[in-house]
Amino acid sequence: MAKSNNQHKRFNLGTCMIWLLGSLVYLFMTVPVLIIVIASFSPHAYPEFPPTSFSLQWYVELFTSRAWLETLWTSILLVLIVAPTTVILGTAAAVAIRRLNFPGKQALQAMMMSPLMIPHVVLGIAFLYQGTAMGWFGTLTALIIAHAVIVFPFVIRSVGVSMSNLNPILEQASMSLGAGPIRTFFQVTIPNIKPGIMAGAVFAGVTSFGEVSVSVFVTSPQFVTVPVRIFNYVEQTFDPVINAVSVVFILIAVIALIIIEKTIGLTKAF
Amino acid sequence: MLKTIMKSERQKVFYWGLLIPTILLLVFFLVTPLLMLAEVSFREVDSYLNIQDTYTFQHYIEVFQSGSYLKTIGTTLFVAFITGLCCIILAYPAAYMLVKAKHAGLRTLLYILLIMPLLISMVVLSFAWIVLLAQNGMINQLLMKMNFINQPIPMLWNLTAVVIALVQVLLPFAALPIANTLGDMDPKLRSASMSLGENRWKTFLRVTLPLSIPGLISGFMIVFSLAAGSYITALLIGGRMQPLLPLTIYQQVIQISNWPFAAALSFTLLVIVAICVLFLGWLLSRWEERVYG
Repeated sequence: MAKSNNQHKRFNLGTCMIWLLGSLVYLFMTVPVLIIVIASFSPHAYPEFPPTSFSLQWYVELFTSRAWLETLWTSILLVLIVAPTTVILGTAAAVAIRRLNFPGKQALQAMMMSPLMIPHVVLGIAFLYQGTAMGWFGTLTALIIAHAVIVFPFVIRSVGVSMSNLNPILEQASMSLGAGPIRTFFQVTIPNIKPGIMAGAVFAGVTSFGEVSVSVFVTSPQFVTVPVRIFNYVEQTFDPVINAVSVVFILIAVIALIIIEKTIGLTKAF
Repeated sequence: MLKTIMKSERQKVFYWGLLIPTILLLVFFLVTPLLMLAEVSFREVDSYLNIQDTYTFQHYIEVFQSGSYLKTIGTTLFVAFITGLCCIILAYPAAYMLVKAKHAGLRTLLYILLIMPLLISMVVLSFAWIVLLAQNGMINQLLMKMNFINQPIPMLWNLTAVVIALVQVLLPFAALPIANTLGDMDPKLRSASMSLGENRWKTFLRVTLPLSIPGLISGFMIVFSLAAGSYITALLIGGRMQPLLPLTIYQQVIQISNWPFAAALSFTLLVIVAICVLFLGWLLSRWEERVYG
């Protein structure tokens, strides 16, 4: 009896330790995000802690600044082009590669995922070098190409997971009932992998909107994205408007999380 | 019979049609730029850094003969290693808590907190750390108000700050694979070990921990390679002077425009990261072989 009691106590201690450590980690993850939100409502350049006054001045400054709005528009435009393009290309590729068998398939799959692992500074200067040599540096096209390549793995991964849950029998049944490959693709395959496509689109959009380490190399003064502008600002001066801009990013992350949770569920997406 | 064969042929052609645009995209915009960079890394430069038509190994020799570049490589690997280690150590209890959380609402909340940094731009998170750690930042203000210190302590512009920020930015990449392996684990294994008389601590050490090793290795692998290649956080929090390879590459291009040398440094970084990742992948497959036969 005494022994089991003892064991019970130790179990509590161990569980408490894990919950305490875990809670500290969650706190560590959350504090910087919270600080930015608090700071954005402070009238001082360096927010005081604990906050004593409240102001919307950085938001007013953000949404009346022509330069920031132009940058924001570039970023939004980029997402609106990059996300649909990569989702269409990536879905097609993920479906095809799942149903085809050919030598070099593994290598092609590795190539599709490689932008995740290749250091972004290396990709960035490779894009810059190619863009300069080919004469498309500084155009919106350069940004679109770079973002499409970086965002591609996210679409492949999300759609790929959905594809691996889709039984090929369904497609074969559709074919044997007389539907052609195109009709089968649009009426059987696509509806069945819709959650994966949705998740891929959300990831593509959010990643493209926040991408900075490759974009720094391919932006030109005409086309600066929001993260690159933040980077340039932070590196040179301190502008408290960035607090308000950052909250826009946090809001977008929250919206993306809600969409993912409502469509496929967070646990399945990652 | 013939009709079915023809049909499956038609389907194959259709699938190839779906795949080809992607192959073209990757060949033109991923493989070609990297090959062009590889080519320029062997080009000679004149004293004005103009690229010549002749080829040389000079840039690679310079990287590996210079003490300062070797030190930079060492520091980069060390920072990436420490970041990876901190990430898996911190991610473990967080992932454990997530998997063990019984209330669905709590689990969703923990998931959101864990994934958040993944969806917020790296530059925004780095900026948040500047607001926290700066001379007149929040931590210094708080410490001074509580009379722990009289003068603000300099907390930015060093490698420790870089590691702290990198750990927060990259932790989700470690937490997700660990949570996946912990979630996939059969709870019967633990009860079996307990009913055979092992206490919880030994069960953890002999059952839970070994079974979660694949998650730990793949988490470490991703964080290590991302940390070794990141320069945004390093530049904003550590400043321009830190001896980190990605920072050096950035400066060689942006400030000096020494393309061949920057390209040689890039491929050095790429190869070193690839070797480390392949080694960890080999370790992972060895472990899985040992556990699953």
